[in-house]
Amino acid sequence: MSNDQAPKIDQRQRMLEAFDNKVADPYPLEEYRSIGRQGVLRTDGREKATGAAKYTLDVQLPGMLYARFLTSPYPHAAIVGMDTSEAEKLPGVRCVLRYDDPELAGGVAVSGHELNSVAALPRVAHFQGEECGAYVVADSEEIAENALRTIKVEWEQRPFLLDVEKAIAPGAPLTNPEEFPDSNLWMVYNEGHGDVEKGFAQADKVIEFKWTFGLNTWAGPERPCGVWRWNGDFAEVWVKQQRPHIAKRAISTWFGGIPMSKIDLHCLYQGASFGGWTQMAWNLAGTYLAGLASKRTGRPVKWAFSRREDFYGGNMDAGVFYVKVGFKRDGTITAVSERGVTLNQDMPTFGIVAHLMENTKIPHVRGRTEAAWVNKGHMVPTRCEMNINCYTVNLVFNHVADALGMDPVEVALLNDGAEGHDLEWLNARKAEQGFPVRDSLRECVEKGKAAIGWGEKWHAPGTKKLPNGRMHGLGFTWTHEWDDSAGSSEIGMYFERNDGSVTILGCRADVGVNAETAYCQIAADELGVPVETVRFKHMDDAGFFTMTPDTSTNLSVNGWAVRNAARILKQKLLETAVAPRAKTQLTCFPPAFPGLKPEDLDVEDGVIFEKADPANRMTIADFIGPSGAMGPITSTVGEPLLVGKEGIDYPYRGTPPMFDHGWHIQHGTYLGVRLKFCRQAHFMEVEVDPETGAVDITKIVTVNDVGKVINWDGCEGQAYGGAIMGVGRGLTEEVVYDERTGIMLNGNLLNYKIPTLMDYGDIETIMVETGMGYGPYGTVGIGEDVATVLPALVGPAVHNALGVWIDGFPATPDRVLRALGKA
Amino acid sequence: MATQMFVVAKTYVGCGGSTMATVQEKSVVSEDTVGLRVNGESHRVRVEPQWTLQYVLSEKLGLTGTKEFCGEGACGACTVIMDGRPVLSCMTLAIECSGKNIETIEGIARSNHPLIEAYIKHSCMQCGFCTPGFVVTAKALLDRKPDPTVEEIKEAMVGNLCRCGTYPAHIKAIQEAAAVLRDVLRGGVGREQ
Repeated sequence: MSNDQAPKIDQRQRMLEAFDNKVADPYPLEEYRSIGRQGVLRTDGREKATGAAKYTLDVQLPGMLYARFLTSPYPHAAIVGMDTSEAEKLPGVRCVLRYDDPELAGGVAVSGHELNSVAALPRVAHFQGEECGAYVVADSEEIAENALRTIKVEWEQRPFLLDVEKAIAPGAPLTNPEEFPDSNLWMVYNEGHGDVEKGFAQADKVIEFKWTFGLNTWAGPERPCGVWRWNGDFAEVWVKQQRPHIAKRAISTWFGGIPMSKIDLHCLYQGASFGGWTQMAWNLAGTYLAGLASKRTGRPVKWAFSRREDFYGGNMDAGVFYVKVGFKRDGTITAVSERGVTLNQDMPTFGIVAHLMENTKIPHVRGRTEAAWVNKGHMVPTRCEMNINCYTVNLVFNHVADALGMDPVEVALLNDGAEGHDLEWLNARKAEQGFPVRDSLRECVEKGKAAIGWGEKWHAPGTKKLPNGRMHGLGFTWTHEWDDSAGSSEIGMYFERNDGSVTILGCRADVGVNAETAYCQIAADELGVPVETVRFKHMDDAGFFTMTPDTSTNLSVNGWAVRNAARILKQKLLETAVAPRAKTQLTCFPPAFPGLKPEDLDVEDGVIFEKADPANRMTIADFIGPSGAMGPITSTVGEPLLVGKEGIDYPYRGTPPMFDHGWHIQHGTYLGVRLKFCRQAHFMEVEVDPETGAVDITKIVTVNDVGKVINWDGCEGQAYGGAIMGVGRGLTEEVVYDERTGIMLNGNLLNYKIPTLMDYGDIETIMVETGMGYGPYGTVGIGEDVATVLPALVGPAVHNALGVWIDGFPATPDRVLRALGKA
Repeated sequence: MATQMFVVAKTYVGCGGSTMATVQEKSVVSEDTVGLRVNGESHRVRVEPQWTLQYVLSEKLGLTGTKEFCGEGACGACTVIMDGRPVLSCMTLAIECSGKNIETIEGIARSNHPLIEAYIKHSCMQCGFCTPGFVVTAKALLDRKPDPTVEEIKEAMVGNLCRCGTYPAHIKAIQEAAAVLRDVLRGGVGREQ
């Protein structure tokens, strides 16, 4: 019997209404089964634990050749002549591409969100180690390397600079005249609100300080690489890329144009690059050249960087910064201004004081980013571009607390707000937009303080000497949670025949954050099926654009798209369940649930059932029926030979394909668009040796208000994993160049120190779930946050230990000793 | 035609892998063919003298679970167990491995070692590139020390680098796998075969 009271819901209409959402999720689930449940196993766990997981670097194809680049020995030099004859004669060398190859004249789309046209094989190098001039293709990487050594290059060396402030000084030689012919100061970005001079005038006290941030890099374990194989006119391409769809768009423009339908794109597991590599100015050049070499040789070509070559790109947050802060005696900050000179920032528009504008009530804020270009590699967003902003928040609040002798947590709470408005104003916005009104920062700091023992351990700077002779320190920092939530996503989803399992289609990069499992959880709970029966097939291009880890966004856009697809698919399933399954010219297949309406039904554990009479039920598998040919062999009169025979269950059911799709479109959470309500707070305990300058981290507590946890392993993994990466960035990681020669000195994992499992002490990860995120179910991102916020925490922790401020990061022993006046 | 030559191979014996070289064994190999016993299977592989064991395992035997990350003995991603000891296969020449018993991640997985289930349960992987090296190092640890303390686990695993920072999960997984193994050794039903 139909329930006439059940409302009819149009899921497609709801999906459209949620585009560019600025409000709390209006339609969360009433009940969560796998979402937020502890113990949901990673979908890729077995593959990765057993070594079965395949990465682009693992691709092996019959007859495959291997390609390597020539690199510049000088930090700034142009090729004026090159002899590759010896390389070409070397046994095993199959092809040598040169910068002066007629097919390489002009630029090619090998980069970026927009298809910027740049040289795939440049003639001029602007940093030591830059790939340029030649690309050797051989039977093995080793032969290619040997061939590269035989190439004789006549270089025209040019003046070079490594220091950003020297680079923007008057009369400095140009570091990259090809790209920036007028000045090494290639861009200035201004941001702010209010009037800082007015704010400083209102202050009881004004302080100024300088800080520097050294260059760190991603050091992803899989070397940048790619593979190209021509199958006749079809291009089959494997990309180590976080942006497979942008790669496909670029590829479609190559070699006179390749129809999109003739490109078979694979995006296997990614040996981590944290955005970095994918953002490089010409990250597809090696793949383009592989395509060209593959065309010429008739064989598949895999290219790869050497380990050292991977070190030349880096995080875009290195530079020198000058900060001025005005504040009242009670800790209320009235104005902040900051000027930064940044190192080879490819995108200097993320600002340096943006977090102060977004998260605080500070009425007067001004930032000026002067983007300088020196003879080092391209610096790009690498988990992520917010390091400077996080250092700024951290140092401003801790310096003010120090100057007033206050607890920095109290200073943070006092100034919490948004876009120059106080917390009361922010709370009113939460209510207006349908969110719970919760004090996220206070909840975070209370949990964090309890976990680290802040109340018992906090002390005045430089006052607690431990029995081992070291100085004890505690540090605190905070900012908002973010996912920039910009982007769009398209998801396909269908029930498989035979067993009713679910496949999600959408090519995207798996970078390890366990997002695919989270999407399976969303699909499972929305569809009413066990999470174990859902698989996200993400490695092969499915013909539509799916959000990939990019633009600081992942779940907050893709989660909506997956949910939309699942809700629309479920609606289709139930509508089909009450309708005739099929009508042919011979017969009509009756409804599975005759006399009912879709809203009378629901799905649980893979079973469709009538809500008013749960005994009226059918598994999705039974409803959808088998794959393949329509049942057993049919007779000449069109009926199956075996139909009606005892014990034979004729599987011909006539149900249409249970496939549908959903999508989501969203602008970012930029200023004035979507206020940020969720906060994160982190605490660190250290012991510092005042004789050696060594900093030992003994405990870290991370507290993240993620809105709502979808996948616990994913959230906690990003918290402790991010904390450990942050420890490296804050303490040890720095790419070092020789000032005299411009040569990078530590492009390897022996001398570029990423943390080991003995380098971070204990880590406690705490999740807060206020539901105040714009993602589905109230989620907000966590993937970039901790690794980006935590490095700065070393500063106040060391200050609390020693009573002096280090002004340079990472806080290597020499910098600590310099702060102590000992070096 | 391959030239016959003698290669002096060091054989490490002793319990726990802590004993340094105590005997030397002479075996006859050709300069371009080695006999490797990998995961219980015998292979005769043509190698060039400069090829590393990691290269031969992944490129010539298709055992791509043995990963190269740093390429210079700094990260442990390429770890395999050779005659009972964990070795860095990127720092080991294949031509030196004639007659050696080599165990890779693929062999450990095929043997249903409890580390695999423990690693899955505790989500010890993120990007996963370094994970096999961790499992192999941990297996070598448990082979020689069935009941390691947390400090012993840290000491054994400190040479394995994970850029994603998964370290805390490994310690839990190794402890759990050790408990399962001990249960099996006591005749319990620690795992299903």
